[in-house]
Amino acid sequence: MEDLSVPRREELQPDSSPVVGISVCDSAPLIWRVQDLKVVRSGGLVGALLGSLPRTPRQNGRLGRPLLLLPEEERLLREGPGAAVLPRPGGERGAELKRRFEEEQTSSQEEQSVLALQDRKAALLRAMTSSLTEEAQQDRLGALDQNFVFPRSALAVQLSTARAGLHYCPEARSFLEAEQPIKTQPSPSSRFQVFRDLRGRGFFLTSAGKFGGDFLVYPGDPLRFHAHFIAVCVESDRPVGVLDLLAVARLGSNVKKTVLLCSPVADGDVRYTSLQWSGMV
Amino acid sequence: MDSAFWVPCMPIKLFIYYLKCSNTSEHKELFIFHGCMGAMTRRRSAAAAGSNMADLNKAAREDFYNEVLSPSELFAARSRSRKIPVRGQKDFFPDDSDEQRQRLQQSLDEHWSLISEERVERLGNLVKGVWMPRRRLVELQSPAGKFWQTMGFSADGRQYLLPEEALYLMECGSVQIFHEDLPISIQDGYEMFLSADAVTLQQFQVFGHLKRLGYVVHRFDPSAEPSPYARQLNLPLSRGRAGRALKRRRSSSPTQTCSSEHAQEEDMEEEQVSSERQPAPAEENDPGTSAGEGRSWWTSEQHVDPKQTHSSAPSRWDFSGIAFPDLGSGEGLVAPPDPALLPGGLSVGVCDVASWRQKVNLRRVRESAREQRREELQSRRMQEWSREVQRCRNWVEYQELLERRGAEHQGRPAHLWSGEVTPLHDPAQPVTTAELLEKIRVIKPSHLLDGASRLSGSDPWRISFNVYQPDSAADFKKSKPGRPYARMCVCSFHGPVPDLRVIKQLASQSGDVPVVFAVVDYGDISFYTFKDFQLPQDVHP
Repeated sequence: MEDLSVPRREELQPDSSPVVGISVCDSAPLIWRVQDLKVVRSGGLVGALLGSLPRTPRQNGRLGRPLLLLPEEERLLREGPGAAVLPRPGGERGAELKRRFEEEQTSSQEEQSVLALQDRKAALLRAMTSSLTEEAQQDRLGALDQNFVFPRSALAVQLSTARAGLHYCPEARSFLEAEQPIKTQPSPSSRFQVFRDLRGRGFFLTSAGKFGGDFLVYPGDPLRFHAHFIAVCVESDRPVGVLDLLAVARLGSNVKKTVLLCSPVADGDVRYTSLQWSGMV
Repeated sequence: MDSAFWVPCMPIKLFIYYLKCSNTSEHKELFIFHGCMGAMTRRRSAAAAGSNMADLNKAAREDFYNEVLSPSELFAARSRSRKIPVRGQKDFFPDDSDEQRQRLQQSLDEHWSLISEERVERLGNLVKGVWMPRRRLVELQSPAGKFWQTMGFSADGRQYLLPEEALYLMECGSVQIFHEDLPISIQDGYEMFLSADAVTLQQFQVFGHLKRLGYVVHRFDPSAEPSPYARQLNLPLSRGRAGRALKRRRSSSPTQTCSSEHAQEEDMEEEQVSSERQPAPAEENDPGTSAGEGRSWWTSEQHVDPKQTHSSAPSRWDFSGIAFPDLGSGEGLVAPPDPALLPGGLSVGVCDVASWRQKVNLRRVRESAREQRREELQSRRMQEWSREVQRCRNWVEYQELLERRGAEHQGRPAHLWSGEVTPLHDPAQPVTTAELLEKIRVIKPSHLLDGASRLSGSDPWRISFNVYQPDSAADFKKSKPGRPYARMCVCSFHGPVPDLRVIKQLASQSGDVPVVFAVVDYGDISFYTFKDFQLPQDVHP
């Protein structure tokens, strides 16, 4: 049933977003870089985070990068603004890189050592009250300068999440795609049609396996809103058993969501039927 | 013309340089040129600040995707907060209010700040590991930390980590893994360690989920499990198993039990018949001694007239007219019989039976009413019996009659027991309630592991992990992990539901540990398990 308050599906505007780099792992499309994640989110695609959160890795409430895309989301990205598979590092790792890495480590250690000394001096100054004379303070600071040692084990090191050193030209995007076809799961076209239509109407969609449906439909960003619908994709020409309908309607009513039966029809349009459990009138 | 402007970004002190290019195509895309190590390019970009616009653009473009922290940032990371902001209540419906937009923006900012935070650790706290692609293992090059209690293994005096363990520890910030002398990122780890033929992404998701909850997760090795046969030999038979075996012996071979029953019945028949045969002659004696009834059916002629059996000619005497002498009444003298009845040339005098009479108990027995009735019934029964015996024309029929009588006496009427369809149970036999229930049961109970040992494994369904309880992590021993809490089989929502065959095969492979199916749905994991269940019986054997 058409909701006239929501605008009809429009053509996806090519907005000013950059090409998103997708990395394929075990035939699943993953997104690693923060900028890519932002672009994807601004395009209305939510995805699912898989990794540990760096700040608190031992909990499952909030997860971190990478972001796993649904096959429909990935297809939409590729058709829309643009996404390309990032090339794997080839023979780039060589002596050159090793040299650079070591240089970088030593310079980082120097800088951090300087910063650590400054930090210690500031702490010492704070600890020393004005009870001591100016000379004594200077002596203390001098001693610190002499004896301060910044060991290698105190060096703060970054464990990168995303791989650094990526470069590619969007002009060569088509070339890249040809070279590395995305070997991800193909999505059945009926699901993709429903996804594209609902996305075009401004809804946010995530997967709904736990709810017995195909997609969970949010009216706005899932961070702020609860889902309203459970979308179940049904072929328009195939009969549906009443027991299946009952089962799905029961599920929906238990979690206080409306079940949306979606059937794509031939001309690219999608027909919606909503099921809501209400009492006898 | 190019236009450029500075856009201040998040808490990480990065400036992004947003470039709009109008000369390439309608699609506005960002060109990215990135060097290898971000720190180097930063310095280059700082140095190039004074030069022309193009260089600045290029540097800025490089910085756009730069997620590498500068040393000052690394140093400042020591004083980061370790807390996660609490998520507030969600709204129900989006109205275009400023308040909602503001809250959304706040949530998003929080989200991005958490997501984009990079892991920074002290080098002294990190364990160094090296990835070995051929063996698909990570070798540790500095001593392992606390995680060694539950993860990893040693071989040839060296410490190794499995790829999924190494990846999880990388995400926790405990190890730093090198490949070809350069540290790898987590993205590299995912791409190198996880593949469809080793540990798949879904399996790693389940592994990570369980590890983050605190469980100890090890790979499952089917060859390390004792086979069902070995288990049967080593473990003492549980009562249930013995009970099941006993039941099988009873019910599975009906021919055996039937024949044994038959044998039993025959034995009992024989006993009863033989015991009957004894009272029968005794009963036959009784009429002889009871007062003068003159039974004329004394065909066996055993006691009184043995000589008459010697006569070869068929007797044409009228037996109804020949009366038996009354030994009980009278003076004790028995008159000699009619000489015509005696074989020729025999003369018998008067017989003195006084001594015999003393042995006969002629005292009238004072019987109670019950005993009188019993005597009456018995005599009636004897009359019936005699009538039936009279109907027999030869010994064969007499024997059949005895058999029939024996059977009926036991409560086995012929019309029930001699046909094809016999009753389920003989009421005279002792039986427990459980056995009776077993006899009338239509649906036979089956157990999950019936016939499971014959099944061979099918490829997509296999047990991936052993999961041990988290509270025993303190005294967990890798060499003797003990019995796992559950075994995991990883599958996807988009695949088929496991059928009975798969469940049986996995359950038999797992032994007495329950098998849990971890179903992965793009980031959500649900756990399902199937339990073997017996319908309760209100019968205790």
